[in-house]
Amino acid sequence: MTKLTALVIKWVLIALALAGVLWVATQLAIAGYTMAVIVAGMLGIGILAVYGTRRNVPLKYLLPGMLLLVAFQLWPIIFTASLSLTNYGDGHLISKEETVTDIIAQSVREVPDSPRYRMSVATKEGASATTGDLVLLLTKPDDTMFVGDTGGLEPLPADGVEKTTTGKITKAPGYTILTAREVNARSKDLSALAVPTGDGGGIKPVGLSEAFEGKPSVTYDASADRLTDSSTTPPTVFEPKNARWVSTADPSVAFPQGWQENVGFANFTRIFTDETLRAGFVKIFIWNVVFAVVSVLSTFLLGMLIALLFNDPRLKGKAIYRSLLILPYALPGFITALVWRGMFNQDYGLINGALGLNVDWLGSPWGAKAAILITNLWLGFPYMFIVCTGALQSIPRDVREAAIIDGANAFRTLRSIIMPLLLVAVGPLLIASFAFNFNNFGLIYLLTKGGPFDGNDTSIGSSDLLITYAYRLAFSGSAPNYGFAAAVSVVIFIIVALMTIPAFRQTKALEEVN
Amino acid sequence: MHKRAFGGVAVMGVAALALSACGGSTPTPSSTQPAPAASETTTGVPETPTGTAAPVRDANVDLVIWTDADRSKAVQKYADEFAAENGVTVKVQISTDTRAQFKDATKVGKGPDVIVGAHDWLGELVQNSTVAPINLSADVASQFLPNAIAATKFNGQSYGVPYAVENIGLMYNKDLVPNPPKTMDELVATGEQLVKEGKAKQVLSQFVSKTGNAYFAYPYLSAFPDGGIFAVKDNGDYDPNKLLVNSPGSIKGGEVLAALGKKKILSTNVDDTNQDALFDTKAAPFMISGPWSVAKAKEAGVNYGIAPLPSLAGGGAMKPFLGVQMFYVSSKAKNATLAQEFVTNYIPRKEVQLALFEVGKRPPALKAAYDEVAASDPDVKAWYEAGADGLPMPNIPAMNSVWGPFGQATADIISGKSDPKTRLDAAAKEIAANIAKG
Repeated sequence: MTKLTALVIKWVLIALALAGVLWVATQLAIAGYTMAVIVAGMLGIGILAVYGTRRNVPLKYLLPGMLLLVAFQLWPIIFTASLSLTNYGDGHLISKEETVTDIIAQSVREVPDSPRYRMSVATKEGASATTGDLVLLLTKPDDTMFVGDTGGLEPLPADGVEKTTTGKITKAPGYTILTAREVNARSKDLSALAVPTGDGGGIKPVGLSEAFEGKPSVTYDASADRLTDSSTTPPTVFEPKNARWVSTADPSVAFPQGWQENVGFANFTRIFTDETLRAGFVKIFIWNVVFAVVSVLSTFLLGMLIALLFNDPRLKGKAIYRSLLILPYALPGFITALVWRGMFNQDYGLINGALGLNVDWLGSPWGAKAAILITNLWLGFPYMFIVCTGALQSIPRDVREAAIIDGANAFRTLRSIIMPLLLVAVGPLLIASFAFNFNNFGLIYLLTKGGPFDGNDTSIGSSDLLITYAYRLAFSGSAPNYGFAAAVSVVIFIIVALMTIPAFRQTKALEEVN
Repeated sequence: MHKRAFGGVAVMGVAALALSACGGSTPTPSSTQPAPAASETTTGVPETPTGTAAPVRDANVDLVIWTDADRSKAVQKYADEFAAENGVTVKVQISTDTRAQFKDATKVGKGPDVIVGAHDWLGELVQNSTVAPINLSADVASQFLPNAIAATKFNGQSYGVPYAVENIGLMYNKDLVPNPPKTMDELVATGEQLVKEGKAKQVLSQFVSKTGNAYFAYPYLSAFPDGGIFAVKDNGDYDPNKLLVNSPGSIKGGEVLAALGKKKILSTNVDDTNQDALFDTKAAPFMISGPWSVAKAKEAGVNYGIAPLPSLAGGGAMKPFLGVQMFYVSSKAKNATLAQEFVTNYIPRKEVQLALFEVGKRPPALKAAYDEVAASDPDVKAWYEAGADGLPMPNIPAMNSVWGPFGQATADIISGKSDPKTRLDAAAKEIAANIAKG
C-alpha cells in the first residue's frame, strides 16, 4: 500500500468519524441537550487532534478504549451518584412549576347542570388556519347557537348556518370551519382556550365536536407559594413541604403530584440510620458474600474435579461426556432457573418427590439458601469445567513427569504442581466469577424473589442480595424511589470495589510463580 | 414494571401469560409500508415491535396509540375507521410493557397519544402527571356499568373510558361437581369427599405462592363487614389514611385463611406455575381464578363451570376485586384533540366494545354491549355475576405499598408461620410506614 492510499484512507476514516459526531450533535441539538452538544463538539476536535496530526502516538491507540470507558463505565457511575442525591422516583418526576399547572388543570370539573354543547372549531374568515385566533361555534341542546372566543360568548345569527342532524355547525357565514387535521394541529392553542362564562368558569372543547362548561377548583397564589382548593368547605390551603403540596390543616392530605429536588445526602443518611435497613443491610451483606464465595468455590471445585477426571488419557468417549456436561451452560439460565423453581416445590416438585423428603425449600430461610446454591452449582460448574480443561491442557506434561520422578504421589502433584499452575490461568476468572455472582440478580429473582420474608416484614428477604434489594427499592417496592436505590447502588459499588482490589493484588502474587 | 409489588406483579403475570399466548407471533409488517394513496389512512396492520423494546413513535401520523399485541387488531380496525371518517392517519403500535414504556417515553417527549391499560395504573399516572382528564358527558357515562365508571375516577376527576371488566370467580369441574357450592364449608366438604373417593387429589387450586398474593387473598377479607384493605371516602375514592388490613372483619378473614391453610385447602406451594395445571389435570375439582384461565381449561378438555365465589361462615359472600380495562389519553399528547375525540367518541360505541370483547372475552363495560354478549355467552354472564358485588381494585398510589406486605402476610397466615391477628397487625404497620415514606 502506497503512502498516498494510506493517507487517503486515513482522512476518509477521520471524515467519517467526524460526520458521525456531527450527526449525533445535530440529533442532540434537536432534542435540546446543550451540554451534550458541547461534549460532542469537543470529542470531534479531540478526534481531529489525535488522528489528524503526527503527534500523540500512544493516544491513537488509547482513545477508542478511553471513550468507551467513559461512556459505559464512568458515565453510569457519575449518573448514578448524582441521582443518589435527589428524590427522583414515582411522584417526583416533574418540576414544581409543572405540578402547579397540572394540579390546576386536573381540578377542572364540569359545572353542575351546565349544558353540553355541540362544537366546531373555526377561525374568522380570511384568518390563517395555522395561526389565526380560534373561535368555537357552539350549539346548545335547545338549538340556540353561539360564537365563543377568549372574549366571551356571543349569539350566532342563524342566517346561512348549516348543521348536521346532531347539531354540529358545518357552515357559518364569516367563519372558516377547520378540518379535523387542522384542529388537531392547533391542539396546544385549543387546550389553552376556555370561553369565559363568568365566575371563573369556561367552556372547553372535548375532542372535535363537543364542549363542556368547566371550572377549576384550585388556584395558585404565586407570592405566598400556596395552592388553595375551594371544592372543600372551608377551602384547603396547601404549602410546599418535602417536595409535595401538603395541606396546612391536615398533613396527611396532600396532592399526589410531587416534584424532583436535590436532597443532599439524605438517602445515604437513611441507609445508615434506618433501623430496619441497617440491620437488614448487614444481614444481606453477609449472605451476599457467602453466596458469592460458596458459588465460586463449589462450581470451581466440581468443574476442576471433572476436568481432572476427563484430562486422564485413559478415559474413553471424552467428546460425548464433555458435550453433555456443557449442556447446563448451553441452556438459557432463565429457563433453567424456572425449571429448578418447579423442582423445588414442596408438594409437587421433583426433588422432594424423588427423594421422599418434605423440605420446604423455597419457604424456609435455610432451604431457600440451599436451593439457590444448588441451582447455581448446576448453572455454574460447566463454565469452570471448560476453563479448567483448557488450563490443564496447557500445563506441560514434562512438569508432571518430573514430579512423578521426584516421587510425588497424585495428591502431592495436584497440590504443589497442578493447582498453582492452574490458578495462574484461572485466578482472574474466579475473581470475575465472584463479581458476577455478587450481583447475580436473575437467579435470585427467578427462584425466590429474595424471599422468604420472615419477621413480619417484607423489606428484607432471607435470600436477598444487595442488588435484588436495591431493585425492589427502585422498581417494585412500595413507592419506586430511584434516588434511594441509586444511593444503595453507590454503596454496593464501593463495597465490591473495596473487596476486589485486594483480590486482584492476590492474583498478581500468583503470577510470581512464573 | 414496576410497582404493584409481588402480588400485583404475579397477578399481572398470570394475566399477561394468558393474554400473550399468541403475543409475538403476529406477522411483522413493514413499518414503512406506504399508506394507500387514495385515502390518507393507515394500513390496517398494527406495528409490531422487534424484541421487547418500546415502540418508536412515528412523528408523521396524526394519532399514535400504544396497546399490547392481543388487543392491537381490534383497536386497529376502529382506528382505521376513525381515520377514514376524519381524514387523518392513525398508527397503532404494539407495546410489550405499556405501563413502563409509556412512563419512560412520555418523560422524554416520545410517548404516544393514547394508551390501553388497566385502571389501577391510574394513581401512578396521575402522580407522575402523564395522563389527561376525560370529560364524558353524563348521559354517555350513564351507559356504562357504574363500577367501570367509578374505576376511571381519581380524586373525583375522570381519566379514561372503560371497555372491559374482569374479576376472579370459582371455576369448578362439572364432571365431579354437578352444582357449584354456595358456601366455603360446602366446597370443602364436597372436595374432601372427592379426595376420599380418589376422584381428586386436592380440594382447591388457588394462587397463593411463597410470597403471597394480595389479589387472590382479598376476597376472604372482604367477605366480612369492614374487612378489606382501604376504607372508602365519601367521594368514592379509597382513603390511604384509613387502613382496614387489621380491622376486626379482616382478622376474621385471616382466621379463615389460617383454618384453610391448616387443612391444606390453601397452600403456599400453589402458585402461578401450577395453579392452572392442577385444575386442568383434574387433580383439583375447584379453582379460584379469572377469565384468563378459561382458554387453558377448554384446551385441556375440562368440563368447567363458573360460579360466584362462595360465602364464608359468619360473614357474607367473598367479594373479588374488579379490574377495569380502559383507554387513557396522555397529558403530553402531541395530538390531544384527536386523542380526546377518539377516546370520548369512539370507544363508547357498542361495536367497538364488542370487537374488544372478542379479543379479551372479558365482560364489556358498556351496558348495551354486555347485554348482547351475555345473551349468547354463558361464561361472560357467569364472570360478570361473580363480580357483581365486587369493588374496583384501589387505584390510589398507596396501593403500591400494599401488594407486597399484605400478600406476604396472607402467605404467612396460610402456611401457619404466624397467627392472623399478629401478622395482619404487623402488615398494617408496615403498609402505613411505607405509605408515609412514599
